[in-house]
Amino acid sequence: MPFAARAAGASAAKNACVPLIVTRDLRKVFRNAKRFPGALGALRGLFSPVYEDRVAVAGLSMEIERGEFIGYIGPNGAGKSTTIKMLTGILVPSAGEVEVAGIVPHRKRRENARNIGVVFGQRTQLYWDLPLVDSFELLRAIYGIPQDRYRRSLDAFIELLEMGDFLRTPVRQLSLGQRMRGDFAAAMLHEPPILYLDEPTIGLDVVAKEAIRTFVARVNREQGTTIILTTHDLADVERLCRRIVLIDHGRAIFDGPIERIKNEYGRERTLVVRFTETTSAPTIPGARLESVEGMTARFVFDRATQRVDRLVREVSDRYSVEDIAIEEPELEGIIRHIYTQGYAGEERSA
Amino acid sequence: MTTFAPYIEYARKAFAREATYRIELIAEIGSVVLRVYLLRSLWTALYAHNAAPTGLPLHSMITYTTVALLMSLVLEVDGTRVIREKLREGGIAVDLMKPIVVPFAYFSDGIGQTLLHAAAIVPSLLFALLLVRIDVPSLPVLAIFCCSLALGYGVNFFVNFLMNGVAFWTLETFGLQLIVRWISDLLSGQILPLSFFPGWFGRAVFALPFAAIYSTPLLVYVGIIPPAKWAAALAVQAAWLAATAGASFLLWRAASRRVVVQGG
Ligand SMILES: Nc1ncnc2c1ncn2[C@@H]1O[C@H](COP(=O)(O)OP(=O)(O)OP(=O)(O)O)[C@@H](O)[C@H]1O
Ligand SMILES: [Mg+2]
Repeated sequence: MPFAARAAGASAAKNACVPLIVTRDLRKVFRNAKRFPGALGALRGLFSPVYEDRVAVAGLSMEIERGEFIGYIGPNGAGKSTTIKMLTGILVPSAGEVEVAGIVPHRKRRENARNIGVVFGQRTQLYWDLPLVDSFELLRAIYGIPQDRYRRSLDAFIELLEMGDFLRTPVRQLSLGQRMRGDFAAAMLHEPPILYLDEPTIGLDVVAKEAIRTFVARVNREQGTTIILTTHDLADVERLCRRIVLIDHGRAIFDGPIERIKNEYGRERTLVVRFTETTSAPTIPGARLESVEGMTARFVFDRATQRVDRLVREVSDRYSVEDIAIEEPELEGIIRHIYTQGYAGEERSA
Repeated sequence: MTTFAPYIEYARKAFAREATYRIELIAEIGSVVLRVYLLRSLWTALYAHNAAPTGLPLHSMITYTTVALLMSLVLEVDGTRVIREKLREGGIAVDLMKPIVVPFAYFSDGIGQTLLHAAAIVPSLLFALLLVRIDVPSLPVLAIFCCSLALGYGVNFFVNFLMNGVAFWTLETFGLQLIVRWISDLLSGQILPLSFFPGWFGRAVFALPFAAIYSTPLLVYVGIIPPAKWAAALAVQAAWLAATAGASFLLWRAASRRVVVQGG
């Protein structure tokens, strides 16, 4: 067992029935002085500032149980990072309530900090000029981790994240993938019961991504660590999360298991047919031809109204067929559809 | 916050980090020695033409400027500059997400930097002694000088803290920074003994916190503040320390409620 006992913070939430993370009508409005173009505009802004409100989070309510792995997704500017910042206590909400492990984060920032680990993909918490291990030593002092426990978890991270080769290398000489592994270890050295990951796999190659995914999946499974993952890589979500919260314009437009969003949206299936000879403009009643490429044609059909066995029979009756496959929709396609067309399901069904 | 361990570690890491900028430190030593030479030439020329105010003999004047330059090696460390930088880039988030009192961490970081730069005093002094001769006062004077310097260090930290803390309200503080820097260089007594300023202006500069940074320790060193006035001079410094620390505390309390973390 690579990890030591659960961190102290878990005791903060005495009541097991209460969700670990609760937000109620959480709002954040940024107020910024409006800028006017040109030098005169700058002067005008100096003497009679005009303020502009921008609603980043517009009444978000959600409950997250211990041990969940949440995919927190939404288009650019939807308010994901802003939500995470409020959950960490570094941003004070404009309205609404937020509670993490029984603590209101922005009121007890330091107490809350002991319960959480945070990884920001585009920002590092490591000392840029010092060897990686120096940042870990600082964290040991900050969290007051006893020496033996520190050694044990550091050894575990070195093994799991394969950090042995660059532990003594200055952080600025590390590759992005190596640095991210360092950042993961740094965020989890104190064994927090809650982990916030804000685009942690951004810019990583497929191998590094896979290593990180395997690692977080394992932490969630073996430690019961509650994880909120924000990402634009839906393969991350599909692979790791059981539940997704989809937000747009600061509002949750979907909250539920991945299967449900797939069922609601993924009524369309693709029938991929490979003919034995080149066939131009093949047709099947009840299915729409999407594309033909060489001897392969792709048909789209509605799973709810069309029976697969009938379609297969139709196509093999009409043409000489070598191979048939049915493709399930990918989460990515569904999400793209929702981003562009809007969400049509009932709002925030839990 | 129950222990000092995190803050001691912050200081150690800052020391190690600064130590990686070796060239910068060497350049700093060179610059101090160069300025010692230039100011010696300047004062010698001015005194030769009797253009300088009297009351301080030439060798005391040279002692004053040389010691001031050596002091600047530690007093020019600005442990709170990171506030401004981290606010602009959003890096402050990382510090705020730790179970630490953030200003304490920055203070400790400053101490770590200072300790490394303090090491540069020794070679600077040795090189300077090749160019100038400075007076070395008696042991009690040196002891009081060190106390006064420590108080001045504290005032300097909090003045910087207040200045950089303005970034919580307006992210662009460079202009302000420049002006305050200018004023503080002149009015802290780093370049010129404040006793040179005439009339009401001369009295007014002593009523500013800047005088508590360089002037008081230096005037103790060269003996313009006699032993009878030591207690009063250090009390004024302590009062400024309390005032600037109190103001910093209030600023931080107000700021942490409105901090906006950029980026993400
Ligand atoms: N410091 C700030 N000042 C003003 N507006 C801000 C600030 N930070 C964020 N916003 C605005 O709040 C909204 C939400 O931003 P946020 O960073 O939470 O989005 P996000 O969902 O994380 O997007 P992305 O996927 O691009 O990271 C955006 O419209 C953004 O412009
Ligand atoms: Mg974001």
